[in-house]
Formats: sequence, C-alpha cells, structure tokens
Amino acid sequence: MEELIQHLTPILKEVWGYIFPNEIELHWGILIVLYPYLTGLVAGAFILASLVKVFNVKELQPTYRLAMLTAMAFLIVAPLPLLGHLGHPEKSYEILITPNSASAMAMFGFVYAWYLMAVLCLEIWFEYRRDIILWAQKETGIKKWIHKIISLFSKDISEKAIHFDKKWVKIITIIGIPSAFLLHGYVGFIFGSIKANPWWSSVLMPIVFLFSAIVSGIAMVLILYMIITPIRGKELDIVCLDKLASYLFYAMIIDFSLEALDFIHRIYESEESINILAYLVSNKLFISLIVIQLFMGMLIPLAMISLIKIFKAPSDLKKMVYFISAILVQVGIFSTRWNIVIGGQLFSKSFRGLTVYKITFFGLEGFFASVVIFCLPFVLLYLLTKILPPWEEARNP
Amino acid sequence: MKKIWHKIPEQVKRLSVLLIVIVAVFIVANSLLTPKDFGLVGHYRAGSIQENADRELKYAGQEACADCHDDLWKLKNANYHKNLSCEVCHGPSINHTNDPDQFKPEIPRDRTFCVVCHEYNTSRPTGYPQIVSEAHNPRKICVTCHNPHNPTPPQAPKECSACHAEISSVKSVSSHMDIPCTKCHVTTEKHRLHPREFRPTKPVDREFCGQCHSQSAKADKFIPRINMVTHEPRYVCWQCHYPHLPEAQ
Repeated sequence: MEELIQHLTPILKEVWGYIFPNEIELHWGILIVLYPYLTGLVAGAFILASLVKVFNVKELQPTYRLAMLTAMAFLIVAPLPLLGHLGHPEKSYEILITPNSASAMAMFGFVYAWYLMAVLCLEIWFEYRRDIILWAQKETGIKKWIHKIISLFSKDISEKAIHFDKKWVKIITIIGIPSAFLLHGYVGFIFGSIKANPWWSSVLMPIVFLFSAIVSGIAMVLILYMIITPIRGKELDIVCLDKLASYLFYAMIIDFSLEALDFIHRIYESEESINILAYLVSNKLFISLIVIQLFMGMLIPLAMISLIKIFKAPSDLKKMVYFISAILVQVGIFSTRWNIVIGGQLFSKSFRGLTVYKITFFGLEGFFASVVIFCLPFVLLYLLTKILPPWEEARNP
Repeated sequence: MKKIWHKIPEQVKRLSVLLIVIVAVFIVANSLLTPKDFGLVGHYRAGSIQENADRELKYAGQEACADCHDDLWKLKNANYHKNLSCEVCHGPSINHTNDPDQFKPEIPRDRTFCVVCHEYNTSRPTGYPQIVSEAHNPRKICVTCHNPHNPTPPQAPKECSACHAEISSVKSVSSHMDIPCTKCHVTTEKHRLHPREFRPTKPVDREFCGQCHSQSAKADKFIPRINMVTHEPRYVCWQCHYPHLPEAQ
C-alpha cells in the first residue's frame, strides 16, 4: 500500500482536470508500445522482400534475403512484450488449445502461427534450400548437421527441383502479402475496434498501422543494409539504395495521406471527444506527436529525400541523407506507436481531464526490459545470418 | 500409386512429413492439455464454477440480516439508503449470522465513514446530498443528527447551497451573485424534503433573460443589453452563456 501511494502521489500532482479514480495509472505501458512497433517491422520487411519476388524489382535483390531474415528475427521477438506484460508466459499455450474465435486478442496466436510457419519459415526454406544442401556438403561438424536438419535432409538440387522451389517462393510471397496485411492490420484492428476509446476507435486504424509498418520495415532494412555492408568490407549498391529510398518515400506519402485523412475526418466529425483530444494533442502529446512523429519522423525525411531526388546529389551525400532519414523514420514510427498506445490512455473517459504516464526504469514493464527486448531481434538476426548467410557471395554458383 | 508417389517433388514429401508431425503434436498436446471439463457449459472449465462456489464466504446478504433485524431492514428500505445493502456499512458479516453472540458486525461511528459517499465532490450529481465535512458541524459524529437507516436530514436545508454547493460557489463570484436562485427557478417547499420528486422549474425561453438584458428592459444601466431580434435569434441564451457564470467564455 505504502509503495502504491509513493508511486501514485507524483502522478496525481500532474493530473489535469477531472479523471475517474481508475484512470490515474496507465495499464498499457512501454511494452505494449513496443509490440505494434516490432510487428510493424516484420510486416514492413516482408512487404519489401515481396517487391523482389512478386513485383520483380530487380534492384532490391541485394536486400531480399536480409529483409526475410529481418522479418523472421523481429517476428520471433514480437510476442515477448505481450508475454512480459501479461505475466505467466507458461500459460500462453492455452490460447492455442482452447481457441476463442469471438476474441480478436485470443486469435492472435493463430495469426502469428500462420505467418511464422506458413509464410516466413516456408518461404525462407524454399529460397535457401539449394544453398543449404550445398553448404552442408562442404561443411563439417555441427554446422553441417544444423544445415542438414534445416534442409530436412533434402538432397534434390536438380534443375527441375530448383525450378519448383522458385515457383513456390513466388506463390508463398503472393499468399504472404495478404498475410502480412493480416498480421499488422490485425494489430491495428485490436485498437481500432475499441469503440469506447475515441482516440483508437477508427476503421482507418488497421490501414494506417499497415502503411506505417511498411514505412518502418523499409527504413529498418535500409539501416541494416547500410550498417552491415561496410562492416563486411563491401561496397553499398547505390542503385539498390536509391530504389529503397524511393519505396520509402512512396510509402511515407501514402502513410502521411492516410494519417492526414484520419485527422481531418476527426476534426470534421467533431464528436463530443474532440475538445479533450485537441487538448491532448496540444499538451501532453505535443512533443511526441507534433514534433517527433510529424516533423522529425515524417516531414523532414520526406523533404530530405525529395531534395536529394530533385537536385541529383552526389552518392556520398545521398547515402548520408538516406541513412539519417531512415533513422528519423524509425524514431517517428516508434513515436506513432507511443502516441496511439499511451495517448489513448492519457485522457479520461469523462472527457474532462488528462493523466500522465511515468515510465519506470526497472522491473518487467520498465524501460530497461523494453531496451533488452528491442535489442533481441538484432542478436537473433546476427545468429540467423551466421546460419543462413544472406550475402550474395555466400550463394552457391 | 507408386507412380504418383514418384511424381511428387522430394521437398513436398519432406515438408508433408514435417506438417504431419506438427499436426500430430498439436492434436496430442491438445487432447492432453485441454482440461476435460472445458467447454461443457461455456468457454471455460466447468469445474471453475465449483471452485468459486467452494471459496470461503464473507458476506451473508441482506436477506439474512432481515431474518432477525426486520424492523431496521424495513426502515432502511423505506428511505434514502434503500439501495444500499446492510453490509456496505456494517462490513462482511457471515460470521455474525453463523454465531451472533460471538461475532459482532462493525458499526461505523467515525466521521470519516459517511463522507466516503457524502463529501462534496464536483463529479457527484447535482442534488445528491453532499457536505463539506470541515464546515458541517465539525465536532459531531454523523449519527448524532442523522439516523443512517432513515437519513432524511433532521431539518430541511434552509439554503440552496446546502445541496447545490458547486453551483452556489460558482454563482457567488459571478455578476449574477446578487440574484437569488428563486428568481430563475420556481421552487416549492416540497423540493426541500423530496428533492427528486418535486423539481424546481428552469427558464424555457429567450424572453426570460430578456427581462433584464433586452434593450427595452427596465433594469440597471450597467447590465449588458442585446438586441433580441438580431442577437443569434435561433438559439436560446444558455446554449452560449452559462447563467451561473455568464462571464465565462
């Protein structure tokens, strides 16, 4: 009790207006901010990969396998913030054995499993199968066995079999696009369907989530490609970077238009919540929404990329601008998730007051736990690149 | 058959085996891990109903109180606290119903108890009996004047502010401070004793405000005047002006 009072006293001092007693403390904290951010990166990275296979964008070939592995690494970590937030991870299997089709949240396990098993694992398996078999033939020891097991002891690398693999990579990617839309659209649906919360309740929410996911996924692969390639002592493919930046730009334009549409729609509708939401945006969310999300995360990168395209800048300047833009986009998209998740809980259902979110540093729901979870996908990606090198030179001729 | 088997690509065969293993593991895990009584009566374990029923009881329920204290029960049910259960004030009392001599329920006499519901708070509905405990007979305990089973005030409140404290405090700093409440609200005597059954009236038209604020009104010169014909004719006054604090924007 004493601890609770100590925790709530500083928050109470910053409460503005009238709020209900159970609204002082936020129930969804930084871990729930991290969850849509991570799933967004998965969906975005996969959509980027699909550009190569389905839409035949040859310039992006150098990032295709990297994008697939990035999606995989982030997908494996994506449920961890949920497990950390809910507690009792040992009970998580129950949503799979007793499926509740009436609950969007309870169906997550199936959406996740479908995307992981039927899309990502299968596509990576078909894409890598020939290389894995050839690697296993040359290797010895534990690596040989890892590759043998991953290839399911497959041996057939005949022309016909390789052709079959390629065909199926394409088919799975085609199935994968709606699946990626489903995965992240579903996360948006969870928020958009909460009709009691006017900040969340919007049919546009899944689609806004989806396009911000595509933006963040492309930016993340761009950042990873630009960091990993020099570390490996290789040259950056400027044509590939140009193409990545172009797609990032197009996705940002669509994302910006959708968010602007949502914003204008809310203002024009002017429901009874509009006053408190306007107050929320101009006060508690001013820095994270107007400054970080809109200016730093959207307008500045858009302006920078368009200037580079218009004035045909030298390639070194291009690289620097692309890299800074992608970093800003990441910060902006994280801020978007923050504004949705935290912003939606800051105003009272009485529409007459605002509370405040105080992040804790330690503990399962604290800042450090979320930093650890955020770093995990990069560790996983490192391990994945050791087992399944995505580099051009690792491919067997 | 053998021909068809040979026609299936090697990778499909291997994936099929993996798929069969995954499905088999899921089916086995599902049958082993799903509780046997799951889904019998709903999307939960049927046994959980019994588990909850087996939990230790703490509350007796007001029907049990009525068995012995029917005079108090009837009195309470005929008055303002009729929607409260006995144990809201007297605490969980199943031990008392089981052994009335050994266990006695709580009888809150502290001034801090009644104000949990009756301390003045802006979020409480207007007309709900509220006091500012620091100013309301500060040294007396509540039950000296109020019978909790029949909490009608011993004396009808003399001032409107006794119940409408918020409106009263707002009006006291407004330019309408000198206007008595009854100038705008016709209030019968019965409203003091039965506030919800006999409600005061409210002004219904623009002309009511126009008595003081129209250009032809016979009122003090310093009162702001408007042209009743041209000044927002499609609205009634209180859509834009809050009568208890008309200077508010």
